[in-house]
Amino acid sequence: MNSGTKKDHLHSSRRLQVPTLIAVMLVLVLCVVPIWTDGYTLNNYRDILLLGLFALSLDIFWGRTGILSFGHATFFGLGAYGMAITTIKFGLDPAWASLAGLAVGVLLAAVVALFVGYFILYGGVRGAYFTIVTLALTMIASHIAIGWSSMTGGDSGLIGVPPLSVLGYTFYDPVSSFYLALGALTLCLFGSLWVMHGRFGLVLKAIQDDETKARTLGYKTQWLLLKTFVVSAAMAGLAGALYATGTGFVAPDMIALLLSTEVIIWVAVGGSGSLVGAVIGTAIVWQLQVKISSISFAAWPIAIGVFFILLVLVFPKGPGAFLMQKLSKLRRSGNGAAQ
Amino acid sequence: MIAVQPLLRLEGVTRTFGAFTAVNNVTEEFSSEEINCIIGPNGAGKSTLLNMICGTLPVTSGKITLGAKPIQGLTGDRIAKLGIARKFQMPSVFPSLTVIENLSVAAALRGDDALAAGILSNIRMEDEAHCLAAELSHGKKQWLEIGMALALRPKILLLDEPTAGLSADETRATAAFLKELRGDVTVVVIEHDMAFVRDLNARTIVMHLGEIIASGAFAEIESNEMVKDVYLGRR
Repeated sequence: MNSGTKKDHLHSSRRLQVPTLIAVMLVLVLCVVPIWTDGYTLNNYRDILLLGLFALSLDIFWGRTGILSFGHATFFGLGAYGMAITTIKFGLDPAWASLAGLAVGVLLAAVVALFVGYFILYGGVRGAYFTIVTLALTMIASHIAIGWSSMTGGDSGLIGVPPLSVLGYTFYDPVSSFYLALGALTLCLFGSLWVMHGRFGLVLKAIQDDETKARTLGYKTQWLLLKTFVVSAAMAGLAGALYATGTGFVAPDMIALLLSTEVIIWVAVGGSGSLVGAVIGTAIVWQLQVKISSISFAAWPIAIGVFFILLVLVFPKGPGAFLMQKLSKLRRSGNGAAQ
Repeated sequence: MIAVQPLLRLEGVTRTFGAFTAVNNVTEEFSSEEINCIIGPNGAGKSTLLNMICGTLPVTSGKITLGAKPIQGLTGDRIAKLGIARKFQMPSVFPSLTVIENLSVAAALRGDDALAAGILSNIRMEDEAHCLAAELSHGKKQWLEIGMALALRPKILLLDEPTAGLSADETRATAAFLKELRGDVTVVVIEHDMAFVRDLNARTIVMHLGEIIASGAFAEIESNEMVKDVYLGRR
């Protein structure tokens, strides 16, 4: 059989893509934001970056596998509570307590995702059933966070989470904590883009299209989905842990169903699957929330509801995905013309 | 004279769905690098047999061996890695990937980066390399799926109705393409198009109500009275 001599098309798909270009521009702009921004606004931006990281974590699973997790607030909350409980409840040396808290938060999220994901993904649970199971997971986690008050602080949560401290340097002031959030987001965003635009991402898209077919080609699809789910949860845990060090407290809101819903909207607005769109979607919705809430606090839930309905009607896959689709089509026709 | 070891052997393979027996006690051998056609009326158990060979359906009883290795009970991905590739009855490609990406995903586990480009040329789809699979015609999807199966470098290629929905020209081209594979891979084809089966001039197995009722050269099968009664009909 003719084996051909053309270049490897799998690796060529890793060449510079539109989302990567947008991500580069976004990070470059964000790098200089602290020059003209006051501390209060910078703290807001830090929170948006970390919530954007949270949205990215959902997008690498939902956007790339097509399986919607309604329980991602569980992993964000586990990261936040893992950080808070480790740093506040155990009287650890402050020099490394926050670093231990970060590790505990990320690991906790990953281990819970591994345990739950193993049973549901290897058990063949997909589609709406997966969404329902993960929704139940958030409800359980939320009840534990409220009910186990001796450890979690119950409804009041825990106050006094210290800022992250690494090798004697503390990310305390708004500028350093902003750059910490930006660094974490940049690392995760470019790591995700690199992986998802390579062979692994292509196989995940194939699984999203037809899992049975992918299996008959020799792929252990459950294992690939489980790996993605665990990495996604660990990333959500990282976002939660860093968010807790930034705000200095944790509360049941951080592990609640509402947050699980909001993160889906953030990703949908940015266009699921584009990765960088999840971050942009978070920023857009967050800014909208701030603006509308400043006019009328009660108007925000109505506005987001109407906004989401319109979005689904006009752009079923999100405006970001719509734009990416158009750009990809242009690019493919360009490729075709170049043949 | 040395006896040729069969590549794939089915021994008393049976599959039931509740009280219904879809495949009943089938024993058959497929030797290396030849083309085999399985024909028979709808509901004869042909696709169910293929599903059991490639691990999509577990066998109720019986044994399937590839070379000397029993494969019944193995998962689909394991069976694919052992060298059995399958094309489904309905074209089953990844619609959101381009043609070359479909082939690349299929070839990736073989670790041969140039294989996808080579197969693209074999299935004569270089012009559509960057088209989304969703945008292909039915016939092109069939060819792409055959290409994806070949990208696994299989020992056995199972094709479930590869000419369904193809034009007469496309059907002839498919037969010519499969004949080129003779000597490289063992091909098992399920087909209803008798002109295509005649064109392949291959060993033919006839199934009816879950059982094999005849096998041999197509010329013998055409004149078999029982096959005429249950499937081919009389003129």
